[in-house]
Amino acid sequence: MNIVKTASYAEKSLARKHRKPVSRGSIIAMQLVLAVWGLLVLLPLVWLVLSSLKTQKELTYNVWGLPSVFQFKNYLIAWTRGYLGRFMLNSVYTTAVSIIISVACSTTIAYALSRFNFKLKKPLYYLIIAGMMIPIHSAVIPLYVTAMKLDMMNSRVALGFIYAAFRIPISVFILESFMISIPKELEECAIIDGCSYPRIFWSIILPLSRDGILTITILTSLTSWNELLVSMLMLGRPEVKTLPIGVMGFIAEFASQYTLLCAGLVIASVPNIIFYMLLQERIVKGMTLGAVKG
Amino acid sequence: MKSGIAKGRGRVIALFIIPGLLVYAILVLYPLIQGFALSTERWVTVVKRNPVGLDNYRRLFNNSLFWNSLKVTLQFMVGTTFLQVVVGFFLGYFLYKQMKGYRFYKTLYFIPVVLMTVAVGFIWNNILSPSFGLLKPFMNAIGLGELYFPPLADPKLSLLTLILTEAWRVVGIQVMMFYAGFMNMPQDVLEMATIDGASGIKLIWHMVIPLVWDIAKMVIILQLTGSLRAFDLVYVMTKGGPNHATELLPMHMFVHAFENFNIGIGSAVAVCIFILSMFFTVLLRVLMKRESLQ
Repeated sequence: MNIVKTASYAEKSLARKHRKPVSRGSIIAMQLVLAVWGLLVLLPLVWLVLSSLKTQKELTYNVWGLPSVFQFKNYLIAWTRGYLGRFMLNSVYTTAVSIIISVACSTTIAYALSRFNFKLKKPLYYLIIAGMMIPIHSAVIPLYVTAMKLDMMNSRVALGFIYAAFRIPISVFILESFMISIPKELEECAIIDGCSYPRIFWSIILPLSRDGILTITILTSLTSWNELLVSMLMLGRPEVKTLPIGVMGFIAEFASQYTLLCAGLVIASVPNIIFYMLLQERIVKGMTLGAVKG
Repeated sequence: MKSGIAKGRGRVIALFIIPGLLVYAILVLYPLIQGFALSTERWVTVVKRNPVGLDNYRRLFNNSLFWNSLKVTLQFMVGTTFLQVVVGFFLGYFLYKQMKGYRFYKTLYFIPVVLMTVAVGFIWNNILSPSFGLLKPFMNAIGLGELYFPPLADPKLSLLTLILTEAWRVVGIQVMMFYAGFMNMPQDVLEMATIDGASGIKLIWHMVIPLVWDIAKMVIILQLTGSLRAFDLVYVMTKGGPNHATELLPMHMFVHAFENFNIGIGSAVAVCIFILSMFFTVLLRVLMKRESLQ
């Protein structure tokens, strides 16, 4: 489990030390494998971008080459006629709700579990952790039925709450192990000074848990942003649809206009790519950790 | 320190736990129980439901499509696990060698992990598409053009394609896991191992195999439950077809509940997904805990 945590530390010390004789052939072979997989990852993405800039005709007779004229208007059409901007805003909205709710719920629970002793502590902990084993798929039908009954279909807030609720188990798990390692001395002083617990939570625990909170925020935002099944069932009206369902509709609508289709897919992927570029190290760490713990 | 504050503590704990617990209970635990209830009903209309006991399960287990779905899910599980361990191991090891460009590859390999699953599905759909995809001209170029066949239209190939796409999408995580694992091995041991041959092989055997097994275990746990959650990619790429060849359990549930509008049987599948998820996780944790004690 601590494999991941110490990785970045090891990396620094290794960089120069690690120069041992390896035969030339094996280096070339290894480089080749790395390059081939790199190509396998990169080629589909490059092809997508190039295709999105071609004309419909060019797609078939000029498969490998650059477009003769860059058709930027494909993007303009995809953007305006595909309502991708609106879908993105809806995704931002839903994701924001899910982040706020899941962080609020899991930091408070994790604080109580890591700092207080009470009778039901153990059972409560396991009850929440057990939630990691519950796939959202096994709850989606009842959620759908209930949402229908309560007239909550098409509510992005309700969807955000659902996402948040399913992130609570792993978030509590990560945060609890994080908070438990924060030394207690600071709080003890604060208590002697007459600080209330909510105050301690707010001005000592939360700032010190920044890293853990960032990790669960990243994990929550990626899952909420990318989720398809629940949103597809909950959101029917076009003006509330999130990006994944929006893209589904988009693809269906432009089914034979391949260049627009590609442009739309590029646009839909841009937010993820930007997110990754901004927070690369955090995301890699968080997702690897999330995978290990989950 | 404790006596003065003890009175208020119960209330403080409740204050911190109850809001989050409510969200979790209402949106995760309650739907789960409700799902059990729904699986014992048959909906005649939305308002008229008949209790049918375990009849839905009886009908489900007598349906060969359910067993087919289970089989496909298992094949998907085994296939993706195998690919992720193998590809992750080699790429992780080659990256660990820190040859020229390894940082670039590290960044690159993780990109598919953060992309929307929906987008990944469509990108590969497009690449494999007979009308304008990359696969057909590629096979033409290497002289295998005559063998080209749209892979998603063939029952055997479509599952394989799905497995490959899923591996392409998530293997970045495993690469980073192995990379971090190698980084954390004691350097001198590894160096010694490469310098003198015979005992070196033994050392590597004792160092590398346990590491591989450790990570393989995590991947197995992840994939066992992950395959029970694999919906997005299936829905986008094949919708379970052709002829149910790629109908994993979540898709099977979806078909019952939302295409045939048989909420009862759909819920029965959902319950199966939940029970399998619990079963696999607990079983593996127990098996692996016992092993690590030995």
